[in-house]
Amino acid sequence: MATDREVLRDLWDGKLPVCFVLNDEEVCDLQTPEAFYLMVPRLSYFPLVWDKVRKHFIKHVHADHHDMEMWLDYNGTPLKWHYPIGLLFDLYAYDTQLPWTLTVHFEKFPENILLHCGSREVVESHFMSTLKEADALKHKGQVMNTMQKRDHNQLWLGLQNDKFDQFWSVNKKLMDTSSTDGEFKHIPFRIYCSDEGPFIQKLVKPFTEDSQPKLLQNLIEEIFPDTCKQVCVITHGIELSLDVPLQWMSEHMSYPDNFLHLCIVSNTS
Amino acid sequence: MNVNNDNRPFDWKNDIIFRVQQRNKLQCFCYQDLINSHNRLFDQANALKSENIQLEIQLERLRKEGPEGHKSVDGNADVRTATNEQLLVLEQKLLARQEELTEIHKKRGENAQMIVDLKNALSEKDKLITVKDKVLTENITLIASLKAEIQMYETNHQRLQDQYQLLQDEHQALQLTASKLEEKLRKTQDENMELVERLKRYKFKDAEKMNQENENFIRKRNEKMQKELEDAAKDMRGLSPDSFRDCGPISFSPNAIPTKHYLHFDAHDGEVNAVKWSPVDRLFATGGADRKVKLWDISKGSIESKGLLVGSSAGVMSVDFDSTGTSIVAASNDLASRVWTVNDQRLRTEKSLNLCQIFQENFANALMSNNTYCYGLTIRTSD
Repeated sequence: MATDREVLRDLWDGKLPVCFVLNDEEVCDLQTPEAFYLMVPRLSYFPLVWDKVRKHFIKHVHADHHDMEMWLDYNGTPLKWHYPIGLLFDLYAYDTQLPWTLTVHFEKFPENILLHCGSREVVESHFMSTLKEADALKHKGQVMNTMQKRDHNQLWLGLQNDKFDQFWSVNKKLMDTSSTDGEFKHIPFRIYCSDEGPFIQKLVKPFTEDSQPKLLQNLIEEIFPDTCKQVCVITHGIELSLDVPLQWMSEHMSYPDNFLHLCIVSNTS
Repeated sequence: MNVNNDNRPFDWKNDIIFRVQQRNKLQCFCYQDLINSHNRLFDQANALKSENIQLEIQLERLRKEGPEGHKSVDGNADVRTATNEQLLVLEQKLLARQEELTEIHKKRGENAQMIVDLKNALSEKDKLITVKDKVLTENITLIASLKAEIQMYETNHQRLQDQYQLLQDEHQALQLTASKLEEKLRKTQDENMELVERLKRYKFKDAEKMNQENENFIRKRNEKMQKELEDAAKDMRGLSPDSFRDCGPISFSPNAIPTKHYLHFDAHDGEVNAVKWSPVDRLFATGGADRKVKLWDISKGSIESKGLLVGSSAGVMSVDFDSTGTSIVAASNDLASRVWTVNDQRLRTEKSLNLCQIFQENFANALMSNNTYCYGLTIRTSD
């Protein structure tokens, strides 16, 4: 178990160096403002960490846009704030040179691609709803429903303030399998292909019918039955070997929203 | 990485831990210190910048104060700074006072403006009040005049009512007299009826008397005729019987019985209903079914029309002259009798009363018994 906890801790500590740059067209000062560097936790969301960035850049944009919503793009791709930062990095910038350079925008909000994010409450409600969805898949929502409002708050504050112990003291209840014979009903996962399009989500049980634990290999075969080519599954910035059991993955490698966010990269390397 | 995989081929858990640690080493640790120090430097730079700005401001201020401070140089730096500070405080106070003053001035201006506005409003209101007063007085005079009018009308009304009362009284009095008069009228009418009745009676008596007279007259004529006839018979006895034989057993004197007509003429279009001799002249009147009465003269030996008496609206059944021969009366089938004067041949009276008819009928009956009527278009008159 010590090693399992080690995995959780290491995953939690995962951070990314990000370099924020203001969009050239929006600069209204004589000289472009300096880039802003920040270490951001992989498991967090951008709206939770970009307060300083906004404060830094807001001085350099036109006064008319001070009240506008801030948004980010990487190489022209607007970044969805409701994905965890680590997922965004794995999805779009897995093999780029660090630090990860993002462009900050205040104007021309891409209404068709991004959701509006007025405040942290919006992020919180999105996070909680995802959490509930995951629990519904795992325990038919029973654990989440028996929790108190205080526990929900603790989960959110643990994530927001980057407190591993605070978060996991509640989250371990969600990962508990003692009431269901050591297995979840279904594995909450989302699979993202690097090309554009919505993620893939299916009902997949952690064990086969003859109660053999399913491996990542089985999951990939289930999702892509007709692709024979080798695929590369990436999560938390690492390539996974395909013989990891799904149950263990779900318990230990899920993001704070209790979903496994897996990126599929065609194995060209 | 591949090397690691080879070293631990199937231990996926250790592999993951290793990879995660590797990742953290690569992505995290090598940048963490760098970025942290960068952030620190960034913050420091920002802090220094703001400090710099503050210092500049201070410097500026000191420069301003510099010359002032130099004036009051007494050699004692402490005193100078103290006075400077005092000066600063006083200046600030002064500034505050000035601000207050300007504020007060502004307020005063506002108040003055307000006063002016209020004055304007007051004068407007005054104007309004005067206008209203005027209207009020007008209305009062109007009311007074209307009251006077009402008074006048009331007196008028009173007078008219009095008059009306008077007229009603008069009317009543008149009605009383009228009813009295009506009663009188009824009485007089009754009287009149009585008188008419009496008149009728008298007339009837009159008629009877006339009938008697006529009868007498006829009887006398008959007697005369009989006498004449007797005389004639006596004469005949004086004649020789031979002469009687020559003449035949029955012979009449040509004087006694007319054998040929003396004149012959058409008198009327239609039947001739009545003829009558005038008692004075050689005149006679005829009445016919053509509703006319005609006067004829035979004094010259030939027939000559003397006049045409019109007025009857039906066939004339009987005519007669009065005893003096000046008037002529005709009875007609239209239930009326008419009287004309002979001289000017004008209608004098027309009676359709029963009384007259009765009279006329009696009169006519008396006549009919004496005259021969000829129902033809010719009339014969003996010579």
